[in-house]
Amino acid sequence: MAARAAESPNNLEHSGTDFLFSFHAMATPCEVRLETDDADLAKAAGHAVEWEARRIEQKFSRYKSDSVVGLINAAGGREMAVDAETAHLLNFAAKCFQVSNGLFDITSGVLRRIWRFDGSDNVPANAQIRSLCQLIGWQKVTWKPPAIRLPPGMEIDLGGLAKEYAVDKALAAICEITSLPALVNFGGDLRVSGPRAHGKRWKVAIESVDASGHAAGLLELVDGALATSGDSRRFLLKDGVRYGHILNPRTGRPIEHAPRSVTVAAATCVEAGMIATLAVLQGKGAEAFLKREGARAWCIR
Amino acid sequence: MARREMQLDPYPLQTAADDHIYFSKEASSGGRGFAGGGCGCN
Amino acid sequence: MQLRRKKRAGKVRENLAMFSASLLAATIAPAANEAKAQYNDSSYNNDIFGPGIAYSEIDSALLVYQEPGGRVRAIEPATDLTAHGAAGQELNLGLVFDAVSGATPNGAVPSDKIQTFVTPLKAQGSTVTVTSASGGSTVIHLPPSPGEVASAALGRQYTVAPNALPMDRGFRDHRIGFNFGMSFPLGGISNVGFGGGYSIERDYRAITANARIAQNFNSDDTTISLSLNTELDSSFPYGGVPTPLTPMIPDWKTPSSRGKTQAGFVLGLTEVMTRRWLMQLDYSFDLQSGYQNDPYRVISVVDPVSGEPTSYLYENRPNNRQSQSLFWDNKLDFDPAVTDLSLRYFKDSWGVTSETAELSERIRLARWVYVEPSARWYQQSAANFFDNYLVSGQPLPAFASPDPRLGKFTAITYGAKVGFNPTGRTELYLRGGYYQQTGDGHPADAIGQLKQQNLFAGTNAAFVFLGYNWDFH
Repeated sequence: MAARAAESPNNLEHSGTDFLFSFHAMATPCEVRLETDDADLAKAAGHAVEWEARRIEQKFSRYKSDSVVGLINAAGGREMAVDAETAHLLNFAAKCFQVSNGLFDITSGVLRRIWRFDGSDNVPANAQIRSLCQLIGWQKVTWKPPAIRLPPGMEIDLGGLAKEYAVDKALAAICEITSLPALVNFGGDLRVSGPRAHGKRWKVAIESVDASGHAAGLLELVDGALATSGDSRRFLLKDGVRYGHILNPRTGRPIEHAPRSVTVAAATCVEAGMIATLAVLQGKGAEAFLKREGARAWCIR
Repeated sequence: MARREMQLDPYPLQTAADDHIYFSKEASSGGRGFAGGGCGCN
Repeated sequence: MQLRRKKRAGKVRENLAMFSASLLAATIAPAANEAKAQYNDSSYNNDIFGPGIAYSEIDSALLVYQEPGGRVRAIEPATDLTAHGAAGQELNLGLVFDAVSGATPNGAVPSDKIQTFVTPLKAQGSTVTVTSASGGSTVIHLPPSPGEVASAALGRQYTVAPNALPMDRGFRDHRIGFNFGMSFPLGGISNVGFGGGYSIERDYRAITANARIAQNFNSDDTTISLSLNTELDSSFPYGGVPTPLTPMIPDWKTPSSRGKTQAGFVLGLTEVMTRRWLMQLDYSFDLQSGYQNDPYRVISVVDPVSGEPTSYLYENRPNNRQSQSLFWDNKLDFDPAVTDLSLRYFKDSWGVTSETAELSERIRLARWVYVEPSARWYQQSAANFFDNYLVSGQPLPAFASPDPRLGKFTAITYGAKVGFNPTGRTELYLRGGYYQQTGDGHPADAIGQLKQQNLFAGTNAAFVFLGYNWDFH
């Protein structure tokens, strides 16, 4: 999938026996594949997906001061009442915090102030890391739905959820329009509506972690979702040590010995994404974690 | 169109059992799109 | 780096599945769409086969079949293993076991007097299983042949009550069959396949081989296929192969076996007519050459006035049989019901023509359960050498058989099936059916006492079929 310019318009083209609708959103190339020869239908489905993706992006973007997340983060210690959709996402994040024993923590976003994963060797100093760790910890947040209160200086970041959630919502949007075989792919987090015609499978290539552009593997899906967690694009390299961009909220540092890429298959993209994230957070124990959990996954080290 | 129930022969063992019953009681045989597999049921 | 799937989800995964399901259930408006119904059921194991791509299926089934009145009963377990490869290859292995017992008509017509039949029984000195004669028959010593002082030969004798359809109760047979098949895309050809099978029972052996080639067109909407099949059979009846149209005698006969070969082809067309309508049309052609008689079946020769049986002759069928059939199957998707409607027309060189119509309706009651009522209507004409009986004094025909399988009748099957698929990977189903044959038991030209007899030897049957499918990595 070639990267496209940030504001390029959407594009509809034939691809094999499908129509492929592509656009750019959430800093990612997005595509919708519909097995049909009906261009109008493909366009309608594509627009529905694009609309949903942009809606979610704008609602939960941490970069926009007037998004829900922006407003929560700017509340300065005051309580904020949130809408139903946000409440459901916060509930989900809270449960994931519990189930991961604190490894998955949406308050860890503040670490981006000191960690910039641009391939350079700017690893932050220990003192910087220590002071920021005071501002991390979901257990410090008061979440009594529908009201959330962050202690001053703390922030939430739904970036670890939003893309996968958007895939699931986008697919649901397509299913309202048509029951034809559809695949929604937002930068590698994807989901299919079901098998292709005649029970045939969707073919998905796993991107290699090196720059070769070759596929590391070929998967075939008949149903469900795939999500990939990995560092192939965002990392730091210092003294020969590669720091992946997934940070341990407890230590404020990148997870050590994390696999370069974890691809997980599950029923929904949200579930797949969370398993992949949790796997990476296990660092060295990623494969063991996935095996213990009986997850369908592919690790690349 | 892609679910099991829309495939041509989604339950081959059931089809084989039916064919076996009818083959042993009737004069006609086969007709479906697969070849071979006889038994001596006379 | 390949991870194998464990049999159960771990705690974390289970929890995540639940959390994700409730998040999406809450944020996505409920609708009648089946796809969304999955979100609400966190126990649903949505099916994906990858990474690793390849997956396998095991199908197992059990058929229990019973005809009323102590007639044939069959119990048939079967199992099938299919491995699907990454690029559309398939390998299939199957095993079936068949245990048949019960009474079967011996071909003679009923009489208003007691009838006695004697069939061969292996001589002393060999392993005789007397139980094989226990189904209402007795072991007798055969009278010595002319010139012999005393005979060591044994026979199995059974009597039939007046006005009853003569049945031989002594049959008990076990069969085991094995088959394999392989198919794969090859170069520019959509699918190429071949396979074979072997089946053996106490008195019959069949070896089969087949090859198939198929090509897709029109973005896979159209498939044209040609398969060739051949079969080599050997019949080695208990008691040896009788000489056709000679009197029924208990002596051990020669030759001990006779064979038959079959060759044929099926030309098929599959077409996706619309998104909801899949159609299949097959033309089959078959040639069979060799021994096709039922070695145990006799035809009564009756007195031209009284209709009483005077003797019994072994049946005879032509050595050659050519048959053709045209089969048309339609699958129509009218969510939540899928309709399957098929028609078949058959015609052969023995004078048999038949029509079959089958309809089934698969109705999804909930995501994990469906019911499928079905009905089949069948009608066939008699083979041109079919006769209920022969008349003494008239010239002997070249071929004659009283086998109801070759007679004129209509048959209706009523069936009902229920299936459960709690996860995307397993299915358990149960199918029950009742098969009913109706034929003319009182032909207008019946002679003497035969006017009072029911000459139709066809049957009804009830069957139950239990199946279990399981897909796995």
